[in-house]
Amino acid sequence: MKSHIYELAMQASRRQVLKGMAGATALAAGAATLGSFPKDARADFRADLLKIPGVGAGSPTDADWQKVGEMCLNATKESIKEGEFKGVELTFMGLNNQNQHNFLYRGFLKPWEAYTGAKITWIDLAQADYNPRLQQAIATGTVDFDIIEMGAPFEGDVCGKGLASVMPDWVAKQIEMDDYVDYLKAPVGTWDGKTYRISCDGDCHNFNYRTDYFTDEALAKAWKDGGGQGDWGVPKTWQQVQAVTKFLKGKQVGGQDAFGYLDPCKGWGGFGFYFLGSRATAYAKHPDDKAWLFDVDNMKPRINNPAWVRAIQDVVDVLQYEPADQINADPGTTAFQQFLAGVGGMVSWWGDVGSNAKTSDSSVIGDVVGFSILPGSDDVYNAKTGKWDKLASGPNYAPNMAYIGWGVYVMARVDSDSKKQKAAWSAAAHLGGKDLSLWCAAYPSGFQPYRNSHFNTAEWVAAGYDEAFITSYLNSEKDSYNHPNAAIEPRIPGIFQYYSTAEDELQKIFAGQVPVQQGADNIAAAWEKITDQIGRDKQVALYKASLGA
Amino acid sequence: MANLTPTTPSTTEILGDPIAPGRKAAGRALIWGATILLGLVILVQALGAAGQGPMHFDNWRPALYAYVLWAIAIGAAQVIIRGEAGQRALFILPAALFTIAVVIFPTFFGLYIAFTEWNLSSFEGRRFNGIDNLVELFHDSFYWKALGNMVFYVAMVLVEYAIAFGLALLLNADIRARKFFRVAFLIPFMLSPVAVSWMVGKSLMEVRFGPLAALAKELGWSQPNFFGSAWAASFSIEALDAWVSIPFIMILLLAGLQAMPKEVQEAARVDGATPWQSFWRITFPLMLPVSATAVILRIIFKLKLADIIINMTYGGPGGATDSVSSYIFRQYRDRSNVGYGTMLAMFYLVLIIIFITLLLNFVSKYMKKVT
Repeated sequence: MKSHIYELAMQASRRQVLKGMAGATALAAGAATLGSFPKDARADFRADLLKIPGVGAGSPTDADWQKVGEMCLNATKESIKEGEFKGVELTFMGLNNQNQHNFLYRGFLKPWEAYTGAKITWIDLAQADYNPRLQQAIATGTVDFDIIEMGAPFEGDVCGKGLASVMPDWVAKQIEMDDYVDYLKAPVGTWDGKTYRISCDGDCHNFNYRTDYFTDEALAKAWKDGGGQGDWGVPKTWQQVQAVTKFLKGKQVGGQDAFGYLDPCKGWGGFGFYFLGSRATAYAKHPDDKAWLFDVDNMKPRINNPAWVRAIQDVVDVLQYEPADQINADPGTTAFQQFLAGVGGMVSWWGDVGSNAKTSDSSVIGDVVGFSILPGSDDVYNAKTGKWDKLASGPNYAPNMAYIGWGVYVMARVDSDSKKQKAAWSAAAHLGGKDLSLWCAAYPSGFQPYRNSHFNTAEWVAAGYDEAFITSYLNSEKDSYNHPNAAIEPRIPGIFQYYSTAEDELQKIFAGQVPVQQGADNIAAAWEKITDQIGRDKQVALYKASLGA
Repeated sequence: MANLTPTTPSTTEILGDPIAPGRKAAGRALIWGATILLGLVILVQALGAAGQGPMHFDNWRPALYAYVLWAIAIGAAQVIIRGEAGQRALFILPAALFTIAVVIFPTFFGLYIAFTEWNLSSFEGRRFNGIDNLVELFHDSFYWKALGNMVFYVAMVLVEYAIAFGLALLLNADIRARKFFRVAFLIPFMLSPVAVSWMVGKSLMEVRFGPLAALAKELGWSQPNFFGSAWAASFSIEALDAWVSIPFIMILLLAGLQAMPKEVQEAARVDGATPWQSFWRITFPLMLPVSATAVILRIIFKLKLADIIINMTYGGPGGATDSVSSYIFRQYRDRSNVGYGTMLAMFYLVLIIIFITLLLNFVSKYMKKVT
């Protein structure tokens, strides 16, 4: 997801590039001799690593990926002897989106293969084929891969069914797991207290808004004249988002029709449900309750409780104030064809909106975009008491940790062969290393920042990034990740079945075919059926495990 | 009257059976041996898969190998037992066995799957659930909505046919650049429906910057929205599909027009028939066999409509544009609901068979009536 941040960085000066390349060349020669770094040496190493291929030197190539892989091989060399895995053959299944993911991993692991003697065979999948391929492999007992790049929502399907290998302690040490942002620490990546995942990505929805809208004097005056509550400014709560969206209908900014929040109403293979989730978490995720989508004890859906119904009703209420074809807008439309193209004042999305804003050819909002965590709510529904609470601390915020990012997992089928098991975990650990992950966050890779060390803006600025932009963008991500009331997605089997079913019913609600409460009840009934189909008792147990409850 | 034609004695009758009894017995033994082997492999695997047998293979691949062996043995046995006649049988036998393997068996297996609860995420795996899927189908508002939509889409084939006929008549007339237009009009049919979805649906019909939206605004539609309401979305989907497929009907009709004897038209003109009379009384009836073929083929294609819908509306808004295929796609792909999805597909297959049979009967009777 970082390709456009990288492009932004390419705007830096040629002098910086040449300087960086010289340093990188020198370090590449000496990197193999480095073991554990002294603090300053590591900082220098990371600075030089970020100069491969160097800002302004064009997109990284396979040679660059191999160079990065070679430079970051130190940790492997500390625990693995040269040629130790000779004769071991591993199969790695992952994505080929935008020629990233597996394409980079091939390059990163080539030096590892050369050093250890192991050989890796690759299974590349398009995003759309990923879920069916994985589900079929699991259901038909034909798991034919040893290592998998996988999103945390699938942990229920894989770890919950005993198909993944438990992470050895030496791996946790090698990848420096303590550096993960809070929300990626246990229980994410764990089942029943055992750790399975090496994170290589982080995901959350943040709130993207147009700064020119909220500094427009004419709008401020109209807001005040129209009796708008408080000063005209960036909404901090969904109640304000609703009011602003209604207010903006019929107004103009910069000679263009102004619109407020952009709701994606069209199904997106289950992924569209995340966006209702982003509206609902502030209502439904109570600080005293880890659960927000199902009851913990029996998997009773909360989708038809007052909090979720209120979120759905919010969409229905403002749909008429949004662009005319909003009912046929999926999340791709709201982000890339609307918000980045100058339509709409507010949108929730993953980090891609921020990373595209300044650098995408189709973006016209690069200089007028701001970022924050998702809006909160003046009150929050307490599912345990059935009442709406007003918190003494003010509005309730609950950033939606949508999808929880990609990770690398080792399959249990390698456990019967200790050599193969060690080789698989070593390869995975190499990909999830702290320094290599920084490079992935800064260059086009398909992965967002996900470690506390990734939010050291000085490293980004030194590499050539614009400080104000990177600071704003990274803060919105970091504050979401580390929020104490973050809404963590349930990592239970078949989670996308729940989402996809909900999308169908939500479309009927948004089209005015069924009332909100009835539609929500329909979703709840469908979800109950899915839970029964998959197996309620086990779902409950896995749901508890995923919440750490 | 008695048949006086003398019957020719067969080679066997003249020379006696050239196949030795021992060879026949060997052939039969081969069949039995291969059949027993196939049966044993299937039995072992089936019992093993059900957790009953003493052993089982990791997967059903050995059963496939046993079937291939059995097929080879059957073919060889035909030659061994029946000699030359057996060799002749080998011209059709492999094709028949292949059809059994890839068409008939999957169909029956699919029928079995349709009566199971098989969610790929389920811990219990596949489970026979009787007619539960069928009952659920009858209560599935999305499915019936999709079936209703299919009635609309299929009915629109008649409109597509009328347009295609008009175009075919034009391209059959003596017009300038006729060859160019014949090729140009075929281009949409050469395009992938997915590409058309993007190029036309998501670009030309885009409400903000699409030229069709701009044109609609010029024509007085203040906020053009081709996919925003149920009826608009349905007609837009139909328009996209028609744009792709009208050339197919057109080219069939054009071939029919070109094959039509010119003398008939000329005789009509000599007799003073107007162009309309000439078309309605002569061309149209003579074109009925081709028209029926074109329309039936188009309906069969239409019944499988899914790609444009999945790309453009994902069945929305609220299922207004769903086809049965696009809904089944969601059940399979997004929800891994294999058992229920298969029941939807099987039920649809039965409906299609009934509908096409009735349609063919109707067309057959109509043709007899008018010709």
